[in-house]
Amino acid sequence: MSELLHFSEHTLQEVALGFMALVYIIRLTWLFRFTAGKDRQAQTGRDGTTPRKGFIYSWANIAMPWAMESTRTKLFLYAQFVVFHLGVTAAIGLSFVIPYVPGLLDSSVLVLILQVIIGGAFLVGVMRLIRRISNQYMRAISSPDDYFSLLLLTVWFAFAFLSVPNRIDGGQWHLITYFILTAFFLVYVPFSKISHYLYYPFTRYYLGKTMGHRGVYPMRRVPQVRQ
Amino acid sequence: MNNSNRSYKAQKVIDRMGKKLNRQMVGSLLGCVHCGLCTEACHYVLTNPGDPTYAPAYKADQIRKFFKKHYDWTGRVLPWWVKAKSLYTDEELEELKDTVFGKCTNCRRCSLNCPMGVDYATFNRMTRGLLVSVGIMPEGVAVVSKDQWEIGNQMGVLKEDYLETLEWLADEMKEELGDPHAGIPIDKMDADIVYSINPREVKYDPRTISDAAMIFYTAEENWTMPSEGWDMTNFGLFSGDDDLGGAVARRLYEKVAELRGKKLVISECGHGYRSTRCEGPNWAKMDVDFEMESSVITMLRYIREGRIKVDKAKNTVPVTFHDSCNNARSCGLFEEPRELLGLVVTDFREMYPNRAENYCCTGGGGAISMSEYTPRRLKSAKIKADQLKATGAKVVVTSCHNCVDGLSDLIKHYKLDMQVTQLVNLVANALVVEKKVVVPVEEVPAPAVAAGFEGYRILVIDDEPDFVTFVSAVLEDNGATVFKAYNGDEAIELARKEKPHLMTLDISMPGKSGDEVFEEMRNDPELKSIPVCVITGQPELRKLIYDRPVPPPEGYLNKPADEETLLLNIRKILKLPHGAKVSDAKSKSEQTGVPRG
Repeated sequence: MSELLHFSEHTLQEVALGFMALVYIIRLTWLFRFTAGKDRQAQTGRDGTTPRKGFIYSWANIAMPWAMESTRTKLFLYAQFVVFHLGVTAAIGLSFVIPYVPGLLDSSVLVLILQVIIGGAFLVGVMRLIRRISNQYMRAISSPDDYFSLLLLTVWFAFAFLSVPNRIDGGQWHLITYFILTAFFLVYVPFSKISHYLYYPFTRYYLGKTMGHRGVYPMRRVPQVRQ
Repeated sequence: MNNSNRSYKAQKVIDRMGKKLNRQMVGSLLGCVHCGLCTEACHYVLTNPGDPTYAPAYKADQIRKFFKKHYDWTGRVLPWWVKAKSLYTDEELEELKDTVFGKCTNCRRCSLNCPMGVDYATFNRMTRGLLVSVGIMPEGVAVVSKDQWEIGNQMGVLKEDYLETLEWLADEMKEELGDPHAGIPIDKMDADIVYSINPREVKYDPRTISDAAMIFYTAEENWTMPSEGWDMTNFGLFSGDDDLGGAVARRLYEKVAELRGKKLVISECGHGYRSTRCEGPNWAKMDVDFEMESSVITMLRYIREGRIKVDKAKNTVPVTFHDSCNNARSCGLFEEPRELLGLVVTDFREMYPNRAENYCCTGGGGAISMSEYTPRRLKSAKIKADQLKATGAKVVVTSCHNCVDGLSDLIKHYKLDMQVTQLVNLVANALVVEKKVVVPVEEVPAPAVAAGFEGYRILVIDDEPDFVTFVSAVLEDNGATVFKAYNGDEAIELARKEKPHLMTLDISMPGKSGDEVFEEMRNDPELKSIPVCVITGQPELRKLIYDRPVPPPEGYLNKPADEETLLLNIRKILKLPHGAKVSDAKSKSEQTGVPRG
């Protein structure tokens, strides 16, 4: 292993992670400076809908494609979402596995699973790029950050895919690029749309709490199309 | 462009935004990933294919861009990278007005379809409030808000008119029931229920009040209506003005407390229910120590408790239900109306999608009052029209006055064979009223013609010959002498010649329009005292009449007007007692099973 690769796998990642954590702390401190709106009124709605149930339901929405019309009627897009985010999780996990527990990758089964997930995420990234460019609604709402973030992740997936076997016998360039990209990703994330996962728990918590207080969440499953 | 080039109003909007932001809104403003999943949740998008400016995420970005520029770090440092942009000119504020008022009804459908939980409707409302704070708003919003601030209700109904209407309705009820104790108690202390209404009921749909009164009477409820502070609607919800919202809500709560009422019942109105029941305490920053409930729940409770009996066989026409956005998506009121419908109609047909997934009536968010956006609104109503048509129902029921107007408009526009009604009308129609024993007094039966129009000359002005024929036939059948005019000039000439006791007046007519005729007559010493009942198929045009610098018309009706409604309103304007013939009309509707909507 070259010094550059070692530096990329360890020092660079640790500094980038530390930077990201610091920026996130600043960000959350800033967010909490805004007071949270409260519902003074008595609860409305059916029995069994409470703020607590509301926010739990709201958080769980991500795993319930049937809960929203937007996911229920676009299951292919939902499947893309699942694969893409599994890919992100796998690729991030990989950046810890390679430097700290490389022995795990001796398992060819695990390597195959990770490559399938990350490879799938790469394909979804390409599809998402095509959709963002070709769909006029998506173009209208997209900023340079949207394109760049998606492109960054898609390229990152490609290098993560190549890095999964953690082999340097054919050269180290793919691993070095993967770790440099990971570090860049960690530093860039707090300033980009990718930081949405930082806000997700809050937006869904507050929406769910409000909707639970008002008897809307959890939504009752009733037919929404004529049978 | 630097700050010194920014308009005064734009600067105020930016400064005030900081004061309005709360954690939920900031989360929503930051959380959007531009995934586009909200796009097809919006009825504006579905009816304007190919125009991305209607997409919720696009509309939200028009607000988000100046939030990012002034409050978010990436937007401050690299604005072009995240499409952050400040506001500089009044023209930009006008464009923003077009987006937040004219392209969104705040129906919250996109919010419930956002995987991130971005509540666009909430910060869209906030932006409305920012614009209103610098005087930028649709004219209708300004007019209605002013009325609600100054007169205490959103339609500028004067106290004497309100009380007179209630008295007239109470008299009718006494006559109909033959019970001198029936009626509408005003400002009764310690009542179990204080009933609040929408001013639209006083002005255009008094039947909903009398139907509710009949239900309270039958349930032997200890109830009252306040003489003041009775308006449960709240334009603060639509304008985003929390101060107005708080003032209106507080007025109502304080009146209930003053009367020592135990429960505030809110008549069927989506935004009124949401404003009074859900948002009011937050805007008014006060805790309310009495219960509040929708009249839908009250009526259902009466049936469950056996306090009223209903016969669903009286409502046999196919009925569907439209969920008001404010009731369903913001207050969780969607099962009770269905349960109630199941008890009072024989043929209920579900609408798809429904409940919290239903589409807006397209008149929500104050859109009905914004006449400049009417063509856009009616175009977007196509999705609702298709939904209604697919049910095969003849009557659409809704628990919202705003939806009544929105649906009536689109039904007319898309030529659907449907009527709009409310649950209170259906419940009243299905009521089984057991005659109470009343101590007989020496009764002198009034002649059947006592409530007719014998001796009255009425001028009917409308450019639609069919409608003139209908109105004339109804009035002539009731004894009136009718004169007909098909345009404005003819109307003025006939009015001068015949000196009618009353005129019905259409607004939209070729040549001289109804509002011009109205102002001319009001300014004519010879004609100004003739009472006028405006009858129009375009309710959004009514502001043309009310904006004229002359006394307002004595009555107002929406087309299509049925016989009973027409007679009720004409009698009210002529201050005639309610007579046998209206009851006959009611019996007729009961026989056919057509609800009185």
